[in-house]
Amino acid sequence: MNRNLFTTSINKGFTFGIVMIFLVLIDFEVMAATMLSKLLGVNVVRGALPEVRFMIIFLVLYGLFVGWFASSDQEKPAKKLFQALIAGLTVAVVVGLFDIALNQLITTGTDVRAYLAALGPASIKLFLLEKGALGSLLHLGLFTGASLLGSVLKILLKSDPMSHFLKGISTVYRDLRAKTQAITPNWIKEYGKYLLFLLIGLSAFFLPRMWGSYNNYVLGLVGLYVILGIGLNIIVELSGQLMLGFAAFFAMGAYSMALLNAPLPHGIMLGFWPALAIGVLMAVLAAVLLGLPVMGMRGDYLAIVTLGFGEIIRILLKSDLLTDFTGGPRGIQDIKGPTLFGQPFSSDIDYTYIILVFMILSIFIYKRLERSRTGRAWMAVKEDTKVAEATGVNIKNSKLLALCLGAAFAGLAGGIFAARNQFTGPNDHQLMVSMNILSILIVGGINSVPGIILGAFTLKGLPEILREIENYRLLVFGGLLVFMMISRPEGLWPATRPNIEKDEGNRQKAESPPGKGGQHD
Amino acid sequence: MVNENRPPRRYKRSNLSKIVRWVLGIIVLSYIFWRLYTVFIVQNEYTPDIWFRLLISGLVIGGVYSLIAIGYTLVYGILRMINFAHGEVMMIGTFAGYFVFEATNAIKFTSSSGEITSLSNAQPVLAVLLAFMVGMAVASTAGFLLEKIAYRPLRKAPRLIPLISAIGASIFLQNLAQLLFSPLVRDYKNPALIARGQGWPVTIAGAQVVIPYTGVLTFSMSIILMFALYTMVKKSKLGKSMRAVAADKPTAALMGIDVNAVISQTFIISGLLAGAAGVMWGLHNGLVYYYVGFLPGIKAFTSAVLGGIGNIPGAMLGGMLLGLIESIGPTALGISYQLKDVLAFVILIIILVFRPSGILGEVLSEEKV
Repeated sequence: MNRNLFTTSINKGFTFGIVMIFLVLIDFEVMAATMLSKLLGVNVVRGALPEVRFMIIFLVLYGLFVGWFASSDQEKPAKKLFQALIAGLTVAVVVGLFDIALNQLITTGTDVRAYLAALGPASIKLFLLEKGALGSLLHLGLFTGASLLGSVLKILLKSDPMSHFLKGISTVYRDLRAKTQAITPNWIKEYGKYLLFLLIGLSAFFLPRMWGSYNNYVLGLVGLYVILGIGLNIIVELSGQLMLGFAAFFAMGAYSMALLNAPLPHGIMLGFWPALAIGVLMAVLAAVLLGLPVMGMRGDYLAIVTLGFGEIIRILLKSDLLTDFTGGPRGIQDIKGPTLFGQPFSSDIDYTYIILVFMILSIFIYKRLERSRTGRAWMAVKEDTKVAEATGVNIKNSKLLALCLGAAFAGLAGGIFAARNQFTGPNDHQLMVSMNILSILIVGGINSVPGIILGAFTLKGLPEILREIENYRLLVFGGLLVFMMISRPEGLWPATRPNIEKDEGNRQKAESPPGKGGQHD
Repeated sequence: MVNENRPPRRYKRSNLSKIVRWVLGIIVLSYIFWRLYTVFIVQNEYTPDIWFRLLISGLVIGGVYSLIAIGYTLVYGILRMINFAHGEVMMIGTFAGYFVFEATNAIKFTSSSGEITSLSNAQPVLAVLLAFMVGMAVASTAGFLLEKIAYRPLRKAPRLIPLISAIGASIFLQNLAQLLFSPLVRDYKNPALIARGQGWPVTIAGAQVVIPYTGVLTFSMSIILMFALYTMVKKSKLGKSMRAVAADKPTAALMGIDVNAVISQTFIISGLLAGAAGVMWGLHNGLVYYYVGFLPGIKAFTSAVLGGIGNIPGAMLGGMLLGLIESIGPTALGISYQLKDVLAFVILIIILVFRPSGILGEVLSEEKV
């Protein structure tokens, strides 16, 4: 057979083998088997290992993926099978060699956990399917067979569900909408929107009461991150400034709430609502102070400066210099919750309501802003600074305004966050918070509210529900950022703006060609 | 027509940001002078040996920063992108060196005089060389793979896309290291000859100051590497092609330079330097954990900007300067030593606001930017 085919398959198999070894080294395979076990209805006690059959299922799935990936689209079925065979064998050989080393570790009783934290004897035994040296032979069979099977699947299915998935939920949603619109009667079309809003409103009112407090906590967290995401979206996407220190504004809101509404260190006890407002103002003030000197700086420099700003704020909050003022590394405790009409309004359910109200308000403000004169000015600045300036947009002011508005959202979310946790400290405002918010935008789809909600749910909600993947969250997320940038820079649920422009253009001038569509950074 | 002779109308432009800039600058400067005045003139309680000690530690840390900063500058010069994951490449080098020392320390044998020693104590030169070689090799492999996987597909994307990809790679590598090696902070096992905290005693103004062995090793190694790199860039064929690619990619490609290969080699070289810096960091500071690359990475980026990004002597100078500022600064300004990171970030912001081209940097034209 073709030698080129052979070497590429070997290369692919080798890569997959190395990836598998890494997965074993970080104990990922045990987590995956546990998840599979739970999915298939066999509960696993926390800390215990799943049954062997689930490990087999995981390995087979991995093999299937290898076969699927290794058999390239253009080739004939026989060649696809050949590719999958070679790749599967290579994976099996690479992993098999590793198995022998692992088996050696078990038989000699060497404990390498001092160096490789995840490589415990129990999980090694599970990975070798509890057969010791025979395990590597079993792996050989499993990987090769599953890889062949994957290739057969690819041949049979022809179309690629993976690419469908990558095309995004948005396309599926749009297809669905187009189809349903064709069959729905007119009155639903006209009033359906209000009906839907009513439905959402009702469920938002009743659901938190029916859910447990943990679910409310998760929902509230997602809501807060939606607010943060909208704030950062105004800065990053509407006005095109990459900001890596967003947590600084979040900290401003949280610390204003904490200092003004906690018994220690100052005991001001101003109340929740004034403190929230002051928190928002403080965040805006910080944005002005940061923004005025650095506006007009080049994109990547601005990113690094804002990162530095975020770190400065965090280190200052933690340092001895401000310990008397901010409580230092220990943070501030016992932040009081809100009251409404004289009644305490600070159970988990109440916070869910507050967060939902503010979330809807933020979405509303964002939607209005996006279509407003200011919003269009931001778009213009982002697309082409010189043209925007020539058409009379004051670049610096418009960028500064975006920064301040975004910071206001962060201050709002920070205040609610601190009051809800009844605590805030320097560790709540680490660089990772900024990165998380940024990744919500990138994963969900920049510039689109459904995308932000989706992103907030996938990145903040899912890990809270699926506790097993907690350890791997940041790893997966880092990998995802790279992957998204390479394969799908517009996010899972990209904005619909280009289509809107096209529609409007069509309506106004039916004969002229449709406007510029699609090309998004 | 009357209007034709009228001068074009001047639009009033907002000068507020300029004013704020200068006000902030003057506040910072006067604060610095006030603090310097109080520490040196009013209090004057530090003796020369203390300053000497700080100077030494600043030079040592500065050498490490310089090596990492060169990696930033090389990559920036060629790709115009900030390789945010460069600190993680250094972290990988630190871990590689750590494992070499663990291994050489585990090999025990009986020496001629009859006592049991480990390989790293019996042959310290060999162990250190081995650690440097392994650290550099592993880090350069990491740099090479990083470019190939995370940056190469994005060569033609808008500026911010590779930066986000780099941030993703940085988070990925950090967490991979954390999952592989656990979040424990580990001790570097130096050979006994260059144990930490030991050194040559020197008498300065009547007081004893110890020049640490690890510091001397680190500093001399960084000087040697910087010299080697500089010669390489100026004299060798690879250096010439690197400069050509940095100046103009399409033209360099027309002249028969394989641009992709040169970019790969740039990442390998910056990985080599970062790996060496990582082993030095481990030897001198003695701690290794998954987060060890982050702050040095940011600081080194600050140094690269300080010296003028894209400029190799600038990166060396910037690294040394930042090391000195960080070690002497807190004492000279009479502030808490915790705030040395704040100092570095403040310098970064000030440089970027007032002179984005750095100390030695040229002012880049719009197209090049």
